[in-house]
Amino acid sequence: MSAIRVNPYPLPGLLASLQTTEQQIQNDLSQLATGRSINEPSDNPTGAAELTQNLAQISQVDTFQRSMSSVNGELSTADSTLNSVTTALQRAISLGVEGANGPLSDSDRASIATELQGIQSQLISLANTSYQGQYIFAGTAQVQPFVADPSQTSGVRYDGNTGTNSVAIGNGYSLQVNLPGSQIFNGPGAGVFQAVNDLINALQANSGIGSAVNEVNTAYNYVDAQRVFYGNGMNQITDQTNNLNTEQVELSSQQNTIAQADLPSVISNFTTAETGREATLGAIGQTSQMNLFNFLPPP
Amino acid sequence: MSSLFATLDVAIGALGAEQGALDTTSNNVANVNTPGYSREEPVLVENPPIVLGPLTFGSGVSLQKVQSVRDPILQLRIDGETQQQGALNAFVTGMQQAQVQFNSTSGGDIGSEISNFFSSLGQLSTNPTSLSQRQAVLTAAGNLAQSFNNTADALIQQQTNVNLNVEQDVQQINTLTGQIAQLNSQISALQNVGEDASSFVDQRDLAIGQLSNLIDVSQIQTENGLTLTTSNGTPLVAGNQSFALSTQPNAAGMQQIYSQQGVNITGTLTSGDLEGQLQVRDEAIPELLSNLDTLAAGLATALNTTNQAGFDLNGNAGGNLFVPPPAGVTGAAAGMAVAITDPSLIAASSDGSPGSNGNVNVLSAVQNQVIANGQNASDYYSNIVFNVGNEVSNSSAELSSAQLTLQQLQNQRGSISGVSLDEEAANLIQYQQAYEAAARVVDTVSQMLDTVINMGATP
Repeated sequence: MSAIRVNPYPLPGLLASLQTTEQQIQNDLSQLATGRSINEPSDNPTGAAELTQNLAQISQVDTFQRSMSSVNGELSTADSTLNSVTTALQRAISLGVEGANGPLSDSDRASIATELQGIQSQLISLANTSYQGQYIFAGTAQVQPFVADPSQTSGVRYDGNTGTNSVAIGNGYSLQVNLPGSQIFNGPGAGVFQAVNDLINALQANSGIGSAVNEVNTAYNYVDAQRVFYGNGMNQITDQTNNLNTEQVELSSQQNTIAQADLPSVISNFTTAETGREATLGAIGQTSQMNLFNFLPPP
Repeated sequence: MSSLFATLDVAIGALGAEQGALDTTSNNVANVNTPGYSREEPVLVENPPIVLGPLTFGSGVSLQKVQSVRDPILQLRIDGETQQQGALNAFVTGMQQAQVQFNSTSGGDIGSEISNFFSSLGQLSTNPTSLSQRQAVLTAAGNLAQSFNNTADALIQQQTNVNLNVEQDVQQINTLTGQIAQLNSQISALQNVGEDASSFVDQRDLAIGQLSNLIDVSQIQTENGLTLTTSNGTPLVAGNQSFALSTQPNAAGMQQIYSQQGVNITGTLTSGDLEGQLQVRDEAIPELLSNLDTLAAGLATALNTTNQAGFDLNGNAGGNLFVPPPAGVTGAAAGMAVAITDPSLIAASSDGSPGSNGNVNVLSAVQNQVIANGQNASDYYSNIVFNVGNEVSNSSAELSSAQLTLQQLQNQRGSISGVSLDEEAANLIQYQQAYEAAARVVDTVSQMLDTVINMGATP
């Protein structure tokens, strides 16, 4: 009678280990179902904190991307508008040259002047182009920037302001998105409207047409030079979009590293736990089925 | 020279002793599934011999007593481990419910709402006059405030639930200490007349085990029975007297625990479910709430200050974007709310011209601005997530190891005190055979007596 007595009740111990195994199975199942190794912060506190930061960074990059796509729309609208402005000015120049050189009657010059007046209206309308409800050449004012006004020498009044906006397109990286209309259309030397107006007046007066054409030419060169600003901006956006795409890929792969369930190992754990569970269940089934009482002879 | 009657006495004594031993076996078998039952053993002793000249005759067997097989030291270790486990279990359960609020993967948590809000500002920056973009910012601000409200409310609700648990724990403790005092008096009454009190001791061990799950218990065995105190010395049971604990809410409505002497012992408990509940209620959740308040107040203040520095769509100086947090920040998260409903009041402009986005950019930059503790909002929040996850994860690990230890100890207790049916069956055969043998002796003596009585009567 000196053998070590064993616990005659293995059941509570077996049930506890069954519970541990079932917890493991639950955990594996939730990883399999969600594909994530972190389903609540306690699964991996450091990982959960990193994941929170990672999600914030991804959201920030997304915001920059969205801002860029909307800014890009504005920039390309401005750029193509200025392209139309230069085309119109070219036409004005050739009309002016025609008016200066050809042997023309007064009525011929008058009709050229009329066509130039049409060009002037077209230019005003181009200068009042808006993008998503916002005049793109009004500075930061929210009014129609260019208004025909005979009291001005150029015949056009600028109601916008000289404000500019910048939009963040990266961390600590912001891009100026507009030039005030006054800077583009009322350039040094001769503004667009002033030059065209002068040309119209010169044609009507049949004097100083040549110098007026030169004025328009100066305005043309100046506007053309301003387009560089918008082209530049679009280039920066293209570059930054590429950068952010790379960053986004990196952030996503970082997120996967932190939080994605390692499916092969989860599945293998799951299988092991299932086997363990079956074994424990088997053991519980076998336990205490037999004892000496079963072998006592019937009375 | 012995007599036949002496032999008969020995045999009859044996019948009684074996029957008593059989009773013990029967009781063990009957209690095979009774929780807390410790198996009993019959103690059979030889009767004093009769000396007749050169001869010494044995005078048989008697059943001296029936004793329970138990290890009091092991029982103490089990109770101690149960207290640890009780505290950890309460803490893990409480905090697991709390951490659900900080699940960044499901979205809708504070972290994602912070991101969404700044994202809406980024959009507004590209079109500062757009009323729909402005409305989107206000909506995102509302969601942000709502996520702070929801999280804080859920934590406060959790705190209230735990507060109820504290009250229930105290009631249960009082019931158990009452039972233990009752059992103490029954045990000492039996022991005073030299009787076996095993079954009451078993019941008392069981009750102390349940008590240990709730509160830290120190046991001192005195002449007057068992004395139970908390580890800091608050009496719970002394002999047949129990000392009920009581609860009184403090100014914040949190139940404080008082000893029968009227001493507030709330902060002095070291383990047991009650202590785990108190840790959740008085330490973990308040710390979480205070961190959330700091974050909410920091964000609201920084955004308000910035909004005030700009100009709204009408060219007026900006006002508060959020309702200013209370001084001392307590309650800032639960009370966070957007101060304006008119989207044109967002101060996007830095110079008063409506199309300017200068101040939106400054508002956006609050995202990377230090809000509290040298950290920006996202980092501060992720720190909260880490802390709550870490608390649950650490205490879960401790709980697992405490459960293993407890399992081990209970296994050990089972190997000492548990009823083995094999053993009982063997004992049954053994006692039955001894009983049958003694009966055969009685039979034999009876025949011999017949022989004596009929001596000479035979023709």
